[in-house]
Amino acid sequence: MELSDQLKQTLDALKEQFPNGLSVLMPALHAVQAAHNHIPAELEQPLAAYLAIPAEIVHEVSTFYFMFNNRPVGRHHIYICGNLSCWLRGAETLRDHLADRLGIQPGETTADGRITLSVVECLGMCDHAPVMLLDGEFHPDLTVETVDRILAGLS
Amino acid sequence: MDKFTVTINGHTIEAKPGQSVLQTALDNGIHIPHYCFHPGLPVAGNCRMCLVEIEGVPKLQIACGTTVRDGMVVWSNNDRVRQAVRHVLEFLLINHPVDCPVCDQAGECGLQDYYMLVGRYDSRFAENKVVKHKKATPIGRWVMLDQERCILCSRCVRFTREITKTNEMAIFNRGDHAEIDVFPGGELRNRYSANIVDICPVGALTCRDFRFRCRVWYLKQAPSICPGCARGCNIAIHFNPERPHHAGGRRVLRFKPRPNPHVNAFWLCDDGRYSYPFIDDHRLRFAALREEGGVRQLYLKDALDRLADWLRASRSGRTAYLLSADSSNEELFAARKLLRDALGVRCLLPDTGLRTGDADDFLICEDKHPNTRGARILFGLGENDPVAPDRLEAGLGAELPELLLVNRADLPSPLRDKLLAAGTRLVFLGTNDNATAAAAHLVVPLVVFAEQAGTFTNFEGRVQKFELAVPPLGDAAPEWSVHQGLAERLGIDLAFPGPAAIFRQLTAEVDAFRGLSHESLTPHGAMIRHE
Amino acid sequence: MSERILSKRFDLADSHTIGVYEATGGYATARRVLQELTPAQVTDEVKKSNLRGRGGAGFPTGLKWSFIPKDTDRPVYLCVNADESEPGTFKDRHIMEKDPHLLLEGIIISAFAIGCHQAYIYIRGEYIPQIRRLRAAIQEAYGRGCLGRRVFGSGFDLEVAVYTGAGAYICGEETALLESLEGKKGYPRLKPPFPAVVGLYGCPTIINNVETLANVPAILEKGGDWYAAVGAHRSGGTRLFGVSGHVIRPGVYERPMGYSLKQLIFEDAGGILDGRALKAVIPGGSSVPVLRADEIDIALDFESVATAGSMLGSAGVIVMHDGTCMVRALQRLIHFYKDESCGQCSPCREGTGWLLKIINRIIRGDGRPEDVAVMRDVAEGILGNTICPLGDAAAMPVISFVTKFRDEFEHYIRHKRSAVPAPVK
Ligand SMILES: Cc1cc2nc3c(=O)[nH]c(=O)nc-3n(C[C@H](O)[C@H](O)[C@H](O)COP(=O)(O)O)c2cc1C
Ligand code: SF4
Ligand code: SF4
Ligand code: FES
Ligand code: FES
Repeated sequence: MELSDQLKQTLDALKEQFPNGLSVLMPALHAVQAAHNHIPAELEQPLAAYLAIPAEIVHEVSTFYFMFNNRPVGRHHIYICGNLSCWLRGAETLRDHLADRLGIQPGETTADGRITLSVVECLGMCDHAPVMLLDGEFHPDLTVETVDRILAGLS
Repeated sequence: MDKFTVTINGHTIEAKPGQSVLQTALDNGIHIPHYCFHPGLPVAGNCRMCLVEIEGVPKLQIACGTTVRDGMVVWSNNDRVRQAVRHVLEFLLINHPVDCPVCDQAGECGLQDYYMLVGRYDSRFAENKVVKHKKATPIGRWVMLDQERCILCSRCVRFTREITKTNEMAIFNRGDHAEIDVFPGGELRNRYSANIVDICPVGALTCRDFRFRCRVWYLKQAPSICPGCARGCNIAIHFNPERPHHAGGRRVLRFKPRPNPHVNAFWLCDDGRYSYPFIDDHRLRFAALREEGGVRQLYLKDALDRLADWLRASRSGRTAYLLSADSSNEELFAARKLLRDALGVRCLLPDTGLRTGDADDFLICEDKHPNTRGARILFGLGENDPVAPDRLEAGLGAELPELLLVNRADLPSPLRDKLLAAGTRLVFLGTNDNATAAAAHLVVPLVVFAEQAGTFTNFEGRVQKFELAVPPLGDAAPEWSVHQGLAERLGIDLAFPGPAAIFRQLTAEVDAFRGLSHESLTPHGAMIRHE
Repeated sequence: MSERILSKRFDLADSHTIGVYEATGGYATARRVLQELTPAQVTDEVKKSNLRGRGGAGFPTGLKWSFIPKDTDRPVYLCVNADESEPGTFKDRHIMEKDPHLLLEGIIISAFAIGCHQAYIYIRGEYIPQIRRLRAAIQEAYGRGCLGRRVFGSGFDLEVAVYTGAGAYICGEETALLESLEGKKGYPRLKPPFPAVVGLYGCPTIINNVETLANVPAILEKGGDWYAAVGAHRSGGTRLFGVSGHVIRPGVYERPMGYSLKQLIFEDAGGILDGRALKAVIPGGSSVPVLRADEIDIALDFESVATAGSMLGSAGVIVMHDGTCMVRALQRLIHFYKDESCGQCSPCREGTGWLLKIINRIIRGDGRPEDVAVMRDVAEGILGNTICPLGDAAAMPVISFVTKFRDEFEHYIRHKRSAVPAPVK
């Protein structure tokens, strides 16, 4: 597997902004994930070569940060917060509800590859607990009803 | 500056400014438990075993990451520290299999050591251990990885990042799922890989070559010098005097690096490390004489009688000697005294293994002999004096010699055939079998470096001592004693009580070595005087 | 009405735009500072203000700035800590969402004070809408000459870039943040050396929290003395208190240092949800010791909260009513620290995993009588023995929960269920 020309362009632009290849790694992984849905294992070597850094470091970083997916995820990725403030306001009920509705356990992806459900730590939205982050948008003050409505709106 | 002192556990000791508390303690024989600290690597401070109390500092501090200050008062043995260290050790053990009886590291494991020290035998850990992926998996030619034994001290990571700069070892994932590994599908690709086995404080990285060959408590050690190249890395020869049958007949089971800041720091290359089998494999144990109708074994003394006769019989200028840069300074000096000085034998150094082009910017030298510098000095050889194999014939003189003594080298077969056809008497003095030995009229068995004491001079001119590890095999003798035996038979006065005496004489007679003594070679060797 | 330094624009329409910002006096202070003051004067004013870091540790900001070596020939960096991942903490998000230019103005003045020409805002990867907003604000600021070459026409250059994290609480720890900015795993560094001397790319670096920097324009506008007078004790100014959990009106409330915790919960946040009784409060983000209901009659400044046995931390106030099972509440916190331990040092890596296993076992109904003591002992084995404060942050809640609510833990172990009837889920 190779880096696409488009990705290479993005990386070239990033390289301009940072003093060395290593500093480009995090933004680069964000870009790879945006293009490929996850960080394909086969792209770690080419990415390392392009940034002139060791592949081991790429893999260290891609496995350290929670938001980098080392395996494919659904078209939609639900991050539901399970931390204290959300839990105090019913996050566990919502988590179970989501799991039921989707027919999967947290950490899994629906069989049709549509939706991945992840239970995450505090999202910094505790004043709107319980909360979830879905495809880049926060959904505040969730109830079972709003969750159902959000699910219904997904393609 | 006034004296700079620190007090550790009530002992006031002089300290070097800028040094860590841990190094200061260790240098003064005070043991502070530690795992991640290694004197050859950058400080990581991650294991937390070396926590100490420093008076005036509220929190415990890591001794490896704390620089000494004048007047500092440190405690590593009070209740508070012991309690903390006990906690840390317990943390390291909860996800460790603790199945020492089936672990190859048993006997040289840091966990085992401190397990005793700290005295935590009971486990309060009532949970399942974190499951790691790799159990005893090869990660390179020489190294085996067992992730569940790893305590994530990152020594191997730092070694491949900072020392070899090849980066193979890495810690993937985070938190208690963190795992030591090579890149998925990758392997170790540096020529110093087995050092990570040495520095791994537990049984997570073991040596594929050594695994389960021998329990370490059966091993004895002798300090020595690696014979693999001109660097002269300091080693310990690990041998098993009692049970060679456990290791396929080999007495020597491994080389381990010995620290020498001037030569190899703490490290050893894989080539040198795994060169040890030549000590036991394909050895020449007895003298042999080729006669009409075949080869016959004979006593060494009889072989020397024969060789003395031949030396006597050979016309002046028609005897040549191919010396070896694997010989010790002492052996070379004896050869010089007898062959070059007393008998006027033409002495040549064959240029084999000297210019291999295989070198790096760390330890590996292109000259694959341990004592080329010594040979050059003792025989006054210049840069271009070693003779390339294809020019040996010319080097031997206008006419082919009547008698040719070859030390260890394997002659190019065309030359060998030519010599035999021309009626040259071929004498092989050596340690291991080769085609030249097989073709020689007379074979004189020599001991290897591990079977004698002596010194080598490394490429920089550092003279370093090695000790006897294992006794000679069969009739094999040190080369100097062969020369001495010949001298006796030839009525030449050349009496050496042993290598130490030779070294003394050598330092008295050879300018470059003047002023050196066995004492001055301890512990890190000493430089020759500039030629 | 109390002083509003940070939140005064929060209720304005389009408060995040440079137009509204400038129309309400924004960037005037930075402009004046760059033209009229020396960096040393700025630092002095900040020292006078008693501004203390809002990221959690409360370190005096002016003092921190003064640790930058004088006459260094290396570049100096300013890293803005917008990682905001401490459970119960969401104040910085409000600033970035509603008044990003206030942060930028704070950055300009602070960078000027420390001689920095490149600032990075390290923001957590999950804050996607906030990242967008921040980037837009930066673009606006460049467009108006507030950033870039010759800021406000002065001789001072400043570049500001946003750097996005990717889901790791530990990257809020300042040296892990630097590692992450350099493209590595977020492993905290050993200190010393401190970042002010050896920081980003080995250069002198100041790391400040978003809220900390957002205070700087007001300090330079109205003076350090004025700012100090707003606060209490040796803590100047106001704080954005984030109240969450079982209150009627969760949210951020800007109140002066020394404000009453009771008032914050029962008046500003509207009191306890569903008319229930208060049980416990974590006053400064998940990492600080919990307070029982009878311990909350305190003032919210660094000194007073410390006297009460807890810490002001990030000023994230998490409120729990009497329907809360403290065993399960603690399980949430341990789960968090176990998830977020970087795994570098053994007490935190192994200790948090062990604690989680014990508490999960208790919750499953397999608790053993000695578990409470073992949990406490494990936490004490972590406390104070780790590379970075995350270890302490994991240990302190455990110790305070099992000490203050010991009965509940023992009850759970003995009866294999919560002591709280119909606990919240
Ligand atoms: C585990 C951990 C997480 C932290 N997270 C944050 C954070 O998200 N935001 C923050 O500003 N400070 C955080 N801090 C504190 C920072 O290390 C640092 O003290 C702070 O950014 C300094 O800025 P200040 O002086 O302006 O508060 C954290 C500390 C620790 C130990
Ligand atoms: S494999 Fe050994 S050296 Fe490497 S991190 Fe693990 S314990 Fe340390
Ligand atoms: S205390 Fe925890 S988070 Fe901090 S360095 Fe150690 S393992 Fe990492
Ligand atoms: S606890 Fe869920 S957003 Fe903070
Ligand atoms: S030896 Fe000091 S922390 Fe590991």
